[in-house]
Amino acid sequence: MTTSPALTTTSPTAPPPTSPSAPTEWATVLTFGVLGLVLGCLVALDTGLRGVTLFTLGGALGAVFIGFQYGFASAWRRFLVAGETMGIAAHFLLVGLCALLFIPAAGLGLAATGSLAPVSVSLLVGAFIFGIGMQLANGCGSGVLFSFGGGSGRMLVALPFFIFGSLLGSFLLPTALGWGSLGQMAIAGGASDGVRLAVNVALIAGVGGLFYVAGRRRGQTMPKTLLVGSGVIAALCWLVFVISGNPWGITFGFTLWGAKLAAGLGVPVDEFVFWQWAGPKRALTHSVLADVSSLMNIGMVIGAGMLAALGGALRRQSWPSGRQLIAAAIGGVLMGIGARLAFGCNIGAFLAGIASGSLHGWVWFVMAMAGSWVGVRWRPAFGLPR
Amino acid sequence: MVRLTPKWVYALILVVGGMFVVGDHLTSRSMAGLGAPGDLGNACAPCGAPCRDSDG
Repeated sequence: MTTSPALTTTSPTAPPPTSPSAPTEWATVLTFGVLGLVLGCLVALDTGLRGVTLFTLGGALGAVFIGFQYGFASAWRRFLVAGETMGIAAHFLLVGLCALLFIPAAGLGLAATGSLAPVSVSLLVGAFIFGIGMQLANGCGSGVLFSFGGGSGRMLVALPFFIFGSLLGSFLLPTALGWGSLGQMAIAGGASDGVRLAVNVALIAGVGGLFYVAGRRRGQTMPKTLLVGSGVIAALCWLVFVISGNPWGITFGFTLWGAKLAAGLGVPVDEFVFWQWAGPKRALTHSVLADVSSLMNIGMVIGAGMLAALGGALRRQSWPSGRQLIAAAIGGVLMGIGARLAFGCNIGAFLAGIASGSLHGWVWFVMAMAGSWVGVRWRPAFGLPR
Repeated sequence: MVRLTPKWVYALILVVGGMFVVGDHLTSRSMAGLGAPGDLGNACAPCGAPCRDSDG
């Protein structure tokens, strides 16, 4: 047995961005170009080369994700449904590559910090909810964003609900933090950078290796697109880390967009506890282009959209059934709430957390996988295949 | 009549979203440089949630 064809396409929500028969949508490409240029100029005036670079890196990540069809939700689903493990092995390869830079950053003289967060009850609940949501919506944090950028009809519904859920999550988080917490827990936290790196990379390689070996025993092979995609995304994550000073994250940008929109509609967002904390408060009172996550998200949509338009993919998009759109909406809300309660999504918590040597990333992985198991079983109720 | 295809809805969202971004940028305090919520305060998580006593 060899790899099933499905394994090479990790995101079923967006059609491949390039097709030999589809003509380039030049007007759309031009529109994205102009939009990117206008926003890039505003960013340059405000935050200079650093901002423009991060905006561009967001665009590159969008293009790479849609180009390689690099997704998490569908790979996890194929693991749960069909025992296909190579997708998850590739994810751990990506995590391991990122860890090589994230963990020893301080020792390397980089003014950058990893992504640590408390191991808390809110993390358990949030990651579980997120896992359900990502299976109902057919995409996770990155998947929803790049597929939205590619014009996916499903994600045109999922993303607004993700943003709405994320705002709700921000209102809930202060209470949820009171449910109990063990605090931040760095794996091998008391050891030197070298030992921390060795322990964490060994752990990541061990778990990723288990998924890889399990796949090989079933006759599966690792598609080259996944290997190359993991390497390219890791390289971009390194650049984001070095330039921004933090690992790449997605969902805070959604929360911020939701808060700005709600405030515009008259909701007293700034009176909620979450928005009185120093970081969120700063983000709320400043431009959406002055927050790293928000800025990169916008770049990601433009990058994915431009590549999709170049391949003529936008015009091929169609609406899923009404039941599937309801699933996308529910999934979006669940992911939004879950991401806030769990301190991030598959990028900010799973990738960045584990790659930073934080135990919360591993807990997120286990709980989101458990939630995915439930979500996969709920999918048929919405007309979605398992 | 224009058929409500995903491409049209997408275009509408992009136009409205683009106007929102530019409008927000021009009306916000924006000359403070780029930041992330975890950079400020007693942050214990990337979203800026502060460390509680139990978080050590």
